[in-house]
Amino acid sequence: MKNLYIRWVGILLGGIIIVLLSMWRYYQEVMTIPPEQLLREQPARTVRVQGTVKAGSLMKGKTGGVTFHLIGEKEGIEVRYAGEAPDNVRELSSLVVVGSWDPSTREFTAHQISLRPNYGFVVAAYVISFVPLSLFLFRMERSVALLYNEVKQETVYKEEWQGE
Amino acid sequence: MSALIRKIRQYEGWFGAGAGVCIASGLYLGLVTSPPDYYQGEVVRIMYVHVPFAKTALLAYAVLFIGSLWYLWRRDPVVDNMCHAAAGIGAFFTVGGLITGSIWAKPTWNTWWTWDARLTSFAVLLFILIGYLMLRNFIDDAEKRARYAAVFAIVGFVDLPIVYFSVEWWRTLHQPLSVSVRGLSIAPGMLVPLILMSIGFSLLFTYMLMVRTQMLYLQRLLEAKRGRLLSIYVQAE
Repeated sequence: MKNLYIRWVGILLGGIIIVLLSMWRYYQEVMTIPPEQLLREQPARTVRVQGTVKAGSLMKGKTGGVTFHLIGEKEGIEVRYAGEAPDNVRELSSLVVVGSWDPSTREFTAHQISLRPNYGFVVAAYVISFVPLSLFLFRMERSVALLYNEVKQETVYKEEWQGE
Repeated sequence: MSALIRKIRQYEGWFGAGAGVCIASGLYLGLVTSPPDYYQGEVVRIMYVHVPFAKTALLAYAVLFIGSLWYLWRRDPVVDNMCHAAAGIGAFFTVGGLITGSIWAKPTWNTWWTWDARLTSFAVLLFILIGYLMLRNFIDDAEKRARYAAVFAIVGFVDLPIVYFSVEWWRTLHQPLSVSVRGLSIAPGMLVPLILMSIGFSLLFTYMLMVRTQMLYLQRLLEAKRGRLLSIYVQAE
C-alpha cells in the first residue's frame, strides 16, 4: 500500500508541473486584456487586446492594411494593422489584436490578429477527462492491493487442511 | 494462482510506466508547445484528449471481441474476467470520448450534440457496453453468464466498423480520418503530441485492463474461498 501512495504522489506532482507549465503558456500566449485595461495601464510591452470591431469604423488604408475601432464594454481604441486583414476582421466581429500601444498617438499598432481564445473549453475537456480517469485508476489499484492482502489473510485452506 | 494472472502481475508495471511517460510528454507538447489551429484556435488542443479517448474505447471493444471468442473456445474464467474488465474500462472511455467530443463540438460546430453518423454510432457503442454489463448483472450462474455475455459482445462487434468508417461512408459533420491511406491531413507540430497521447492511452488501457482483470479475479477467488469456508462451517454444524 505504501508503494501505491508514493506512486500516486509522484503522478500528482507530475500533473501539477504540467498544469503550471500550461498556465505559464496561457499567460504568455493566450491571455488577453480588454481595451479599458490597456488605456488604464498603458503597457509598453507587446499585449493581446480583445474586443469587438465597432460598426462603421473598419476602413482600408491607402497603402494597404486596415484601421478600425476596437471597443470593450465602456471604452475603445484605434487599431492599425499593416498586413492583409484576415477573414475574421469584420464589423461587429469579436477578435484579438496582438501588438503595442503608442500613448502619444493613442493608436494600437497590431502585428497579428487572431481568433478570440475560448480556452475554457480546453480546460473543461482536460479536467472532465483526467480527474475521473485518475480516480478510476487509483480506486482500481487500491482495490487490487487490498484484495491481495485479504486473499493472503484468508485461512480457509489452512483450516480446511487441519480439519481433514 | 492462475498462470495468466502471475504473468499480468509480472509485466503490468512496464505498461504503467510506459503510459506515464508517453502521456506526460504528450500533455507537455499538446498543451505547452504545439501551435494553435488557424481556424479553431486554442480549442484544437481538445483533440489531444478526445481522439485518444475515442480510439481507446474502440480498442477496448476490439479486446472484448477477441476475448469473447477466446472464452468461447477455451472456457477460461480468467479470460472472462478480462472481457468483463475490458467492457467496464471501454464504457468509461466511451463516455469520456462522448463528453470531450461534445465540449469540442460546441465552439467548432456551435452545438453540443448532433445526430451525425459518427456520433450516433459511437453512442450506440456505449449502449452496447452498458447492455453487456447489465446482462452480466442479471445472470447468477457464472458459466452461463460468461457464455451469454461473450455471445452478446460478438454480436455487438458489428458496430465497431460502422463507428470507424462512418466518416468515410456517409457525409458527416465530423472531420474525416486525419491519418489514412490518402496521407496526413494534420500539421507535424500537432501530429507528434497526438501520436504520443494515442500510444500513451493504448498503454494505459493495457495497464488498466491488467489491474482490473486482477481485481475481478481476486474478487472471484475471495468469494470462492469464503464460500468454501462457509461450507466447512455448515458441514461442521
